[in-house]
Amino acid sequence: MRSRDGNHSFTRRLCSLIFLFSSLALNAGEYLVSYKYIVKNATLYNESLDISKSMTKCEGVPSQNIIFPSTHENNFQELITRHKEEFIEYIHKLGIDVQSRDITTNNQINTTTTLTLKTTCFKVDFNDTFVKISHLKQPQD
Amino acid sequence: MKYSLVLISLLCITAFGAEEKKAASEVTYIPPVKKAETITIPNNTTINVSYEKPKKALNGAGCPAKVHSMVKEKPEVLTADKPLLISVVGQGVAPVNTNSPAQAYALAKRAATADAYRLIAEKIKGVNVDGQDLIKNMMVKRSTVRTSVQAMVRNANIVETTFKDGLCEVEMEITLSHADFAH
Repeated sequence: MRSRDGNHSFTRRLCSLIFLFSSLALNAGEYLVSYKYIVKNATLYNESLDISKSMTKCEGVPSQNIIFPSTHENNFQELITRHKEEFIEYIHKLGIDVQSRDITTNNQINTTTTLTLKTTCFKVDFNDTFVKISHLKQPQD
Repeated sequence: MKYSLVLISLLCITAFGAEEKKAASEVTYIPPVKKAETITIPNNTTINVSYEKPKKALNGAGCPAKVHSMVKEKPEVLTADKPLLISVVGQGVAPVNTNSPAQAYALAKRAATADAYRLIAEKIKGVNVDGQDLIKNMMVKRSTVRTSVQAMVRNANIVETTFKDGLCEVEMEITLSHADFAH
């Protein structure tokens, strides 16, 4: 019921807040990312960065985040392609598995180093001007 | 005649005494002792093997020469009150077939980063070493040494990156604290 004491504006504000929160919640998504690269004899041999939208809800709490400027887009893969170097540096900080094998046969050395980020879930919040990517830390990590 | 005999005997005694003194002041050299061993091979062939004892360096008094004691540096150990900083420099080169210098730099940096991570893992967790030699007809046919390391590294920071003459060097640091390992 509308009254003269300004309830109308209060309802409008409340509705706009609900709309804002719901729009933010709708634009947030969870993505699974895995990364691996192989270096053979001090030369990069293979690199793969796989991204897919999570089909089930991820468990974990947001721990470390990174913010990229956004240009009104909701495509995470395109965003990562544009900011690949920064994102890779960020996932290095989260923890990367290092495996190295050297084989020396008759004084000839062959070395292979593999760096792997196990499949990790990230929460991505798309906003008007920026995108916030948060690592969802598992309880056992 | 009597006096001459007494004189000769005195001279002899003096001469013997001097020789004894000289012998005592000289460096005593002990000839190497040869020891013989007999090895019997199953097919009844016998080979005699002899070896010498290692010679010791002797000084004038016949004692072993002084060996300069090497001063060992105390290795840094992670303690509860002091964090440990580990710094490494990883190296990487660009592949031959790159399209641009920028691509070469990016690929070389990636390789150098991997090398730096490997060095950190080696310092923290150590290296597994496995060796195998194949000997045929008393000749080394193949000698193989395998080393491997496996670790999870997090919170390592790139301090400096240099790229010169196709070689990229990445200086990386990691700070270890006691809490990282205490459960």
